[in-house]
Amino acid sequence: MNTDVPAARDAVCDGAVKVENLTKRYAAVTAVDDLSFSLRPGTVTGFLGPNGAGKTTTLRMLLGLVTPSNGSALIDDRPYARIDDPANRVGAVLESNDFHPGRSGRNHLRVLAAASSIPAPRVDEVLALVGLIDAARRPVKSYSLGMRQRLGLAGALLGQPTLLVLDEPANGLDPEGVRWLRDLLHGFAADGGTVLVSSHLLAEVAQTVDRVLVIANGRLVADAPIAELAPAGQTLEDAYLALTRAAPAAEPAA
Amino acid sequence: MASALPAALRSEVLKARTTPTALGLAAATVGLSVLAVLLHAVGLPASELSTHANQQRVLVEAGENIGAVFAALLGALAMTAEFRHGTIRPTFLSTPRRTTVVTAKALLSLAGGAMFGLLATATSSLAGAIAFSSRGLASHLDGTDYLRAIVGGTAAASLWALIGLAVGAIVRNQVGATAGLFVWLLIVENLLVDGAPSVSKVLPGSLGQALAGQRTGTLHAAVGASLLLIAYAAVALALATRLTVRRDVT
Repeated sequence: MNTDVPAARDAVCDGAVKVENLTKRYAAVTAVDDLSFSLRPGTVTGFLGPNGAGKTTTLRMLLGLVTPSNGSALIDDRPYARIDDPANRVGAVLESNDFHPGRSGRNHLRVLAAASSIPAPRVDEVLALVGLIDAARRPVKSYSLGMRQRLGLAGALLGQPTLLVLDEPANGLDPEGVRWLRDLLHGFAADGGTVLVSSHLLAEVAQTVDRVLVIANGRLVADAPIAELAPAGQTLEDAYLALTRAAPAAEPAA
Repeated sequence: MASALPAALRSEVLKARTTPTALGLAAATVGLSVLAVLLHAVGLPASELSTHANQQRVLVEAGENIGAVFAALLGALAMTAEFRHGTIRPTFLSTPRRTTVVTAKALLSLAGGAMFGLLATATSSLAGAIAFSSRGLASHLDGTDYLRAIVGGTAAASLWALIGLAVGAIVRNQVGATAGLFVWLLIVENLLVDGAPSVSKVLPGSLGQALAGQRTGTLHAAVGASLLLIAYAAVALALATRLTVRRDVT
């Protein structure tokens, strides 16, 4: 791959994902509090934070499932709902088990392909890509967690997305699967794609991502290249724990 | 590309065809229609099956009623199963315009509900005719009565599928929505038929029965009953769409 390509796309798509002052207030608590960041094409960004820090809510707002109380989360300067052909711009996996247990993996993908007018042969292509050809015609209830993660990724890759949003995609993958996922994300970014991936597996994150966003109690506490956050001699885990422990408590919603 | 209704509709058809749910409900519709006819037409003494109204009641209660109940379940499950299994997330990611998703589900429910209504009323008409004649009862029903039971029952079930879909979208919880529909159609409205006939006759369950044939307390005019039942379905669907668009999917 020509190394100029990502830079060239950078110029065209700069700030393709822009989150500004994003806030979500529920009755009792502010789940996401004035969050701002942007994602650069050609990079894999890790999205880290303790359970309940607001990662999941942030990803749902970016993908139009949850309406922000304030601020905005834009892809190509528009909210997700206004993207003309979302499957060909964004691929996402939010939960590891968003499948009907009685439907086969292949039929799950056929349902998604139909909704986005994606030609049927693409279904078998992505099944091969994630290594699920043999299990494709079995009902999802017979799948292991790792197989479900692979099926979710197959759904995210059905279109030709240039942005991947993945919530805990490595959970349940075996070591081979983890390596495969890492290579997939690196390849995706090398082709100019943008990746936002949340994870608690910090050792894996350190090997996969270029940049790290850390949130705690709904607020951004770090936004830096991985080399800067965890310089030689310090682990990402040390840096992460120092950041999240020092974070101020969430404010109750007004 | 903006609304993409044909694509959403194709996706909904595939959803319905790729789980055993719809087939199971269809089989239950046929089975229960036969069972209900047998309970009435074979179980009741001949003296209670000696009038036109008595015999028609067997057709309507076995056919229209069961068709409407299962059509309502079919509609409700189209929405609640997506929330129960989490597929609502990929569905809304593929089709972010939620009105398009609800519209596609409504079109499919209308068709599926009609199929269930046809299955239930055709089965009960056939089983009823056989049961009456095998007992040697004089038939007080003519072709018009059977036609009305089938056509009216089919129309009623298709509208009840829309009401079921709307209830499913509003309640979202599968057990809550299906239990609510069951209790309303099989218990609440049945109690009101005798308890408060003037209220009962403008309620959606009774209106469905009115479409399939007269019954005490129901509106007699098919046109009036159709319009009122359509109005119920339209209002329910409008509310369901509004809530579906506005509410967060977590």
